[in-house]
Amino acid sequence: MRFPECIAGIALAALLSLPAHAAGPEDVRAGIAVALKERLPELAPQDYRLGAAALDAELRRALEENAGAGAATVEAGKALWTRKFKNGRTLSGCFPNGGRRVAAAYPQFDPRLKRVITLEMAVNQCLKSHGEALYDHADPKTMGAVTAYLRSLSDGQKVAVRVPTAAEERFEQGRRLYTSRLGQRNYACASCHVQGAGKHFEDTPLSPAIGQATHWPVIRKGEPVTLQERFRECLELMGAAPFPAGSEELNNLEYFLTFLSNGLPMAANAWRPER
Amino acid sequence: MPSRPFPLALALLALALPAASQTTAPPPAFMQREKGHCIACHQLPQGAGPATKADLGPRLTGARMRELGRARLRDLIQDPTVANPNTVMPPFGRHRILDTAEIDRLVQYLHALP
Repeated sequence: MRFPECIAGIALAALLSLPAHAAGPEDVRAGIAVALKERLPELAPQDYRLGAAALDAELRRALEENAGAGAATVEAGKALWTRKFKNGRTLSGCFPNGGRRVAAAYPQFDPRLKRVITLEMAVNQCLKSHGEALYDHADPKTMGAVTAYLRSLSDGQKVAVRVPTAAEERFEQGRRLYTSRLGQRNYACASCHVQGAGKHFEDTPLSPAIGQATHWPVIRKGEPVTLQERFRECLELMGAAPFPAGSEELNNLEYFLTFLSNGLPMAANAWRPER
Repeated sequence: MPSRPFPLALALLALALPAASQTTAPPPAFMQREKGHCIACHQLPQGAGPATKADLGPRLTGARMRELGRARLRDLIQDPTVANPNTVMPPFGRHRILDTAEIDRLVQYLHALP
């Protein structure tokens, strides 16, 4: 490692190890933004949401060519969104504006339950309260499709996750997970997506942490993949036992990661190549 | 036995020539995802293995490998966090991703790189 990179790495490590009460969420986000700007000086702020495609012209072209890959999934999701429950209500009725422009505020901290609630959990909360069967987070036909539609209703909206004081501990837990070495491979999420952002793993550039949460679910081989399912895939590659979707760990991780993308426009159902 | 130095010398030369003109293919531990998967992060000298864009780790060159020496290479693969606690490279030996024989094979391969 070259000397300047070594210094940047140490500074980053110091920042990422700060507890939340010493550095609030906004300070943590700003610190990561500085570290990423150092590593990726050419990357325009509006391109962070493209992930690896912002750093690879061929990938960017493929993304644009396949922009409509989620259309069938979104249609299927719309049908589920407006489907009448046994009691005559619908998923649409559980959310303000029928679900339009709500996704940007998720995940959010529920002060009554004292936990982070993701959009997927809010969908299941609605189903549960109306006596309907819950959706499996990993099922592309139900949770994948519904979130593909629901999130598309917020396309263009800027991510706006709030971390009130009561939620800072959850944010900190998410930050700690993101920056802790895990699993047999001893990787932290930050190892690749902050420290290694822009470098190539195999032939693909590693996406920067800021911008990662703006475009879910992604569409891979025509099927939606939620962010938490992607976390689980990564954890397995890291040689770590993946936390279940909807667990406290993954919810806090999603809370932290989405906050990092605050201010960036959302665009659900981004195409991604096969892995 | 009658002495036949000339044909013997030719035979020895014929054996030596192929080794000098080709590099050994990377061992399985270098390539396989569940093993070292070194190819994911490190580029090899041209002709020594598949060409990639990988640059999460430094390029591997014979000169650098021989400068480090076999013992240091073994230590680095066994546990690179000793030399650099911030490294992204996994501790292949300490975390039992690779066994001693696999690490030895990798060291042999790396030390012989062009």
